[in-house]
Amino acid sequence: MSTPLLQQVIDRSAPIDDASPADLDVNFGLLDEYSKREIRRAILTAVAVPGYQVPFGSREMPVARGWGSGGLQISLAVVGPDDVVKVIDQGDDEGVNAVNLRRLIVSSTGIPESTTPEDSTLIQTRHRIPEDPLDERHTLILQVPVPEPLRGVERDMRELARMHAEADYARMWVSLYEDKVRNGVITRTTGYPCLVHGRYVIATTPIPRWDVPRLHQSRFLSLFGAGREKRIYAVPPHTDVEPLTFEDVPFEVEITPGAQCRSCGSSESFLVEVPATAAEGGGHWVCSDSDWCRRNRQRQHPSNGVEP
Amino acid sequence: MNNDWALKVASLGKIHGITDLRALEDTGPDIGTAKSALTGSIVAAWDVGFEVAPGEALGVIGESGSGKSTVMRCIAGDQSSTAGEVYLRSVDNGRTNVLDLDPSSRRRLRVADLAVVYQDPAEGLRLNVTAGGNIAEALTAAGWRHFGRIRDRAAELLERTEVPLSRMDDLVGTFSGGMRQRVQLAKALANEPPVVLLDEPTTGLDASVAAGVLDLIRNLLEETGVAAVVVSHDFAVIEMLTTRCVVMNHGRIVEAGLTDRLLEDPHHPYSQRLVGAARA
Amino acid sequence: MGYAAARGGLKAIEAAERLVARERVLGDSPWLESKQMIEKLRLAVDRVMGEGGLWDEHLAASALRQAEGDPIEAAHLLRSYRSTLPRLAYTTPVDVDDLVVLRRIVPAFRNPPGPQLLGRTTDYTGRLLDTNDETTQRTTAEKMAAFLEESATTTNGFGDDSEREGDRRPRRLLDLLRDLDAVVDRRRVDDPEPFDITRHAARPPASRSARLATMARAETGALVNVWYRNILGPDGYLHEITLGEVRHGRLPVTVVHPLTGHEISIGEVRVTEVEAIEDLNGIDEDRGRFDVGYGLCFGHNEKKAIAMANLDIACERDRGRSFLEQSILLTTDGLDASGFLEHLKLPHYVTFRSMMERKAAIRQHQDHS
Repeated sequence: MSTPLLQQVIDRSAPIDDASPADLDVNFGLLDEYSKREIRRAILTAVAVPGYQVPFGSREMPVARGWGSGGLQISLAVVGPDDVVKVIDQGDDEGVNAVNLRRLIVSSTGIPESTTPEDSTLIQTRHRIPEDPLDERHTLILQVPVPEPLRGVERDMRELARMHAEADYARMWVSLYEDKVRNGVITRTTGYPCLVHGRYVIATTPIPRWDVPRLHQSRFLSLFGAGREKRIYAVPPHTDVEPLTFEDVPFEVEITPGAQCRSCGSSESFLVEVPATAAEGGGHWVCSDSDWCRRNRQRQHPSNGVEP
Repeated sequence: MNNDWALKVASLGKIHGITDLRALEDTGPDIGTAKSALTGSIVAAWDVGFEVAPGEALGVIGESGSGKSTVMRCIAGDQSSTAGEVYLRSVDNGRTNVLDLDPSSRRRLRVADLAVVYQDPAEGLRLNVTAGGNIAEALTAAGWRHFGRIRDRAAELLERTEVPLSRMDDLVGTFSGGMRQRVQLAKALANEPPVVLLDEPTTGLDASVAAGVLDLIRNLLEETGVAAVVVSHDFAVIEMLTTRCVVMNHGRIVEAGLTDRLLEDPHHPYSQRLVGAARA
Repeated sequence: MGYAAARGGLKAIEAAERLVARERVLGDSPWLESKQMIEKLRLAVDRVMGEGGLWDEHLAASALRQAEGDPIEAAHLLRSYRSTLPRLAYTTPVDVDDLVVLRRIVPAFRNPPGPQLLGRTTDYTGRLLDTNDETTQRTTAEKMAAFLEESATTTNGFGDDSEREGDRRPRRLLDLLRDLDAVVDRRRVDDPEPFDITRHAARPPASRSARLATMARAETGALVNVWYRNILGPDGYLHEITLGEVRHGRLPVTVVHPLTGHEISIGEVRVTEVEAIEDLNGIDEDRGRFDVGYGLCFGHNEKKAIAMANLDIACERDRGRSFLEQSILLTTDGLDASGFLEHLKLPHYVTFRSMMERKAAIRQHQDHS
């Protein structure tokens, strides 16, 4: 965990009844100071109870709900003047959603931005975890469209609350059992349900299964923000994150044998398919983490410079 | 009775409406109603007590409205009770009144301490889940995490309850009534609970189907050594499955004894009427 | 590389913004004045204030202009603006008996206490599309206005005969029904502070104030749909209710002065208020009496206030037995629903790649077995 960051969050979560209006830096991070503190308190609760979905009074943000408003609120609540921010969508710093959110964060805080995790402290992401190993310096902020992992088996929110409270996840297991019986394989795709710290089942946003093992016993803090559904949850560093799977049915990540990035040649990163077109002929693969791919190319051909 | 019981129920009572004990005075078999004219409440059950030993099946017989299902639901935790105590030998060696447990602990008893077979299979099963999946729900609740072993155990249970294995992966909603009841039995027995409550387990089934299910239940009770409470309005069911029984009328137990004796020589006029009707 | 170009990126976004700015602000027609929208498109402005949860006609008009007329988008602009503002004070509770009515109707009685005051409404006018040009429409309107002026000399200028001050603050029907002991008393002590939906997530089981606040800010169409679904659709938890009061009027807003400690008026808001009389017929209900549902929202929006009052009493009677409360709390917010729907337009190629991989896995399994 970035201990300094968590300490900052704690420091900034104290009640501010005694603060004079002059102390409110309303502009930094867009949100008013009261809102930031409320969000920080929710974050602290989430860190203290790993995997528990903490309700919070989600603010309306200058991005639509479903477009990263939860992640953005977390970023703006924890960001300090010394942070460097990286924002990705689908692994890509140039994705439209990433560009939009990065502009908001940078313009409302004045902090520097970066595309390399090495130089960043806050990484807000939609659907991916960067390929580079992250560590104590990093806080990963994941945008969550649907935070409730059990919604597929239960719709009634009162019953859902009970199931989480009693760690009653039998019906989730039944759904996995039925899936395996019906299809021969577990067909869950992204957002794979995981048991955190042996207690709460979470939805791992829609990150691919490829990224799920990297949440387990990670060195970094992961914060999950669902703005529309008004929930924040966390995976603190060095915490167990186990994908729900049967002992004799191995958890499978997305691997297509023989697939290689057309740009950097990697077969060790999460690849996305570029479908065949009439003009280009056969389909091919590219890294989803665009910045990692760029640096991978650079490593191989230091003289070539960087492709646009 | 000695200490050899798996389930002990004492002074169990349930009043619907305001809890005013004056309702006890103008209700019951002698008055001929469960509804109190004084308070407007319904005394669905009062002062019900019995013990069931491992391997024993106790019958609770009465007409509909007699309070027998209320008793079962209060023991199971599906309904809250107004008064009484319920002990399970498997819980704190029978020293904790499970009615005092918080709702969450109470529900947890249903995993492995206490199973229920309902008259309506839809209450005990998920109709949109396969037969195997329904059993998997009971097993995974008890911590089973090995797919192959869950499959094997489910198959074994379905075999024991005489459900064709070819139907194991079919949705229970596509099953006949008798077959659903067999799946419900398989699910109830999945974690080998020491106590099983059966509420009218064959009511609503065709006579020939019911006879088959009854046979199966009798065999299962003998084989497993489970303590069973069988709730029924039908003396034929009670006679076939139980050795002892209690007769309920307007919320109270009016007679208790060995099932054979009760059928031969009922003492209470209401029991006599019930037996007479069954023999007619 | 075709793929890289399809990523969008900063340049594409900036180009999109320029296109919007050019078409929205420039073009042949004159700048759309806020005053014009507030006066001529008042129902749209009112709706945006209601769904945006902020009373400010000028800001709402600006939002509506920036959103090119999309009321949900305008409400979003208003609400996210509001998120940046510090909360300076809470208003003191308003007594809705202080509502000065501009319109008030009581369908439940022919001669209710106080007036039936139709006010500014098209309810009783033929819905005929006026295709006349501006000059013709102006001439007609001027004639009608002159008639109003004339009658103002004999009445009070509102086109009605409610001369007495009491007619502007009429006694409400509910009070009469209470006097007649015809309604159950549902006043509760367990929900004293209104639930603040902007600060806490309202989730079932919720307090009545949480439900009312959610409905007051709900998207009008969504709330009307939940209402109608419950009349006609599969849910069916609603009666057709008799309306006791439908009011549109002005309410004073007061706060406690931070220095003097006195209550001071800081302005007024226009609201629509509805009381809906429900026939109690349930087995466990007081069937000799009625119950009353309540609706109140910003601006002139009778559809919303009526749906709200109906759903309020329906929730109360349902007592958490059905999904009604969950539907109201979770599915009626315009920003939630439209935001989630619109996010489907964002890139989803990582998730789709994962789905493709599983489809291949299923097919492979099928081929092997």
